[in-house]
Amino acid sequence: MTNGQKQQLIRDRAAALLADGAVSCIVGWRQTRFAGKTAVCFVRAPEDATLLVWNEYTIPLTAKYLADERWTGGKAGILARGCDSKAINRLLRDNQLEREKLYIVGLPCEGKADERCRPCRQKTPLVYDELLWEEDSAADGGGTSAADADAPGRGRFFRADEVSALGIDARYDYWEDVYARCIRCYACRNACPVCSCRECYVDMHRAGFQSKRQNAADNRVFGVTRAFHVGDRCIECGECERVCPMGLPILGQTQKVIQTAEALAGAPYEAGLNAEDENFLGKFDLDDKDAFM
Amino acid sequence: MDKNTKLIQKTALPDALAALLPDYRVFAPAGENERLAFTRIDAQNAFALCLSGTPLMPPKELLFPRSETLYGTDIKTGDVSLPQTAGPTAVFGVRPCDAHGIANLDCAFLEKGYVDSAYAARREALTLIVLACAQIPYETCFCDSMGGGPAGSEGADVLLTETEDGSALVAAFLTGKGRAVKALWAAAGLLSDTGADATTKSANPAKAPPPCNLRISKDKGLAAKIAAAFDDPMWARFSEACLGCGTCSFVCPTCYCFDLDSENRGGTAEEFRCWDCCMFSDYSRMAGGHNPRPTKKERLRNRYLHKLAYFDERYGRTLCVGCGRCIGKCPAGLDIAAVIEWGGTL
Ligand code: SF4
Ligand code: SF4
Ligand code: SF4
Ligand code: SF4
Repeated sequence: MTNGQKQQLIRDRAAALLADGAVSCIVGWRQTRFAGKTAVCFVRAPEDATLLVWNEYTIPLTAKYLADERWTGGKAGILARGCDSKAINRLLRDNQLEREKLYIVGLPCEGKADERCRPCRQKTPLVYDELLWEEDSAADGGGTSAADADAPGRGRFFRADEVSALGIDARYDYWEDVYARCIRCYACRNACPVCSCRECYVDMHRAGFQSKRQNAADNRVFGVTRAFHVGDRCIECGECERVCPMGLPILGQTQKVIQTAEALAGAPYEAGLNAEDENFLGKFDLDDKDAFM
Repeated sequence: MDKNTKLIQKTALPDALAALLPDYRVFAPAGENERLAFTRIDAQNAFALCLSGTPLMPPKELLFPRSETLYGTDIKTGDVSLPQTAGPTAVFGVRPCDAHGIANLDCAFLEKGYVDSAYAARREALTLIVLACAQIPYETCFCDSMGGGPAGSEGADVLLTETEDGSALVAAFLTGKGRAVKALWAAAGLLSDTGADATTKSANPAKAPPPCNLRISKDKGLAAKIAAAFDDPMWARFSEACLGCGTCSFVCPTCYCFDLDSENRGGTAEEFRCWDCCMFSDYSRMAGGHNPRPTKKERLRNRYLHKLAYFDERYGRTLCVGCGRCIGKCPAGLDIAAVIEWGGTL
């Protein structure tokens, strides 16, 4: 099936769901005025379903918007790829969403025109109400391919591997350079589907956790805190890095947390595969042998 | 022959920057791809001057740093220390949109009876050597719809425009600060006559710039129309996809909001200011917790109305110069040019 055919299926299904009153809204993608750039949009009327697009540039996560203030009422229809479904699972697990208030239209993905999609292992949604088509394993949207997902420097933790390949001093310089260039716009935080706190610690600057000064030292406090706070819930979608206006390679941070956790546990780990699994840094045991609490 | 219009060869630009070093701190665009930034140039550092793109972060930082200490108080002695001023600074390769942006910042920091002394000192010491855009660098550029243009001279002390064959730049020295640069370049033997006959415009060898790809029509009555649309349901639609980050404000050459705070650092109580952004939730939060702009709808409306209406009411200028950075970098695809077009239709 071509992307054009899939796009038509999406439009038809969205129009039908809206016309039925099954959902109050469809969260999907629209074309911006610039070629190669789409944006998330909200379609509320059947006749507006023609705005929806599906192509190798439908990259932004739709799931992020479900945790938004708007979803206090009504049933939301959402177009979800594999990554969106992992985000939904995480948000359900964290009690940020109610499953009954969602209608999930699952869209098996071909991989998008973004290197961060290359290692994706969950192209077919893991949670959905309906799937609009079957995954085509031969599909290779936008130059991604499962075949080279395990090639050196192109695997699941490709960005972390870039840093690990450096010597210890060079790694320090690598991150100092990143933090010197960060402008603390918090786009990485705000785009992240598992960053779901109602109030972020950085916005409580009177509490003294995070200085509002922009400099490498205070940027580092933010970067390291973010990496640990979301590392074990990270669904590996790469949104943080995609939205960073400064082009900083920050996906490597959470990749490193996951990679390290797998190595320590000697077991595979992937967040968002279902809505029940505990995240390893958030886990606690009342019978823990360390009296830490 | 206009004595303040000369020709300088492109190959002479490294020498032109070197000629400024004894008298100025010199900044110029250098670095590749996302590292392209206004970079301090000195005699030792070899740099690859970039004449094709313009840095993502505008030169406003040279006037309005991301963070600056305003004064420090020694906790033990109570002695107050003030930061040193940096001295004469020349920035080369500023694009017309960014120079236009600085002219807007001047209104906010210097006019209407309020003078920000830290800004004023840096502004007084700053010389802007503007490079007109011989090619339109980005698809999001729309300066020529916003009262400027790829060869606009507003805010420029020196305006450099490419010649027809692209080998040289026509340098117009427009202000006293610009003529100080001219004296240094002339002394270094870098300037020649343009050969143009001032009586016939056609003989001017400067190439006319191309138009921007993104063209919108900005309505003359935009400020009043859009301010009157405060309760329009479109603000909710515009803001739907907004993530409430600081990208659009922080990359903008005209956004100037800041926060004041103090911190104890190494025995000194430092009062500092740093960039702030009206898209952040804590920006408008009051003591006691009330927030008059509780959701992104109110925040986004404020950002656009400040730019397109309130600033215009106060200073007679739109606080958007059409550099297109916020459009290019918004992770959610928001587009101020679309808002300007919509405002005109009201
Ligand atoms: S998106 Fe990039 S620049 Fe912005 S805060 Fe995150 S790392 Fe820093
Ligand atoms: S408009 Fe775009 S850049 Fe600005 S706050 Fe919203 S998401 Fe961020
Ligand atoms: S609002 Fe956007 S286009 Fe206008 S000056 Fe600022 S960054 Fe440039
Ligand atoms: S907005 Fe205009 S002046 Fe600015 S970089 Fe683009 S073409 Fe040049």
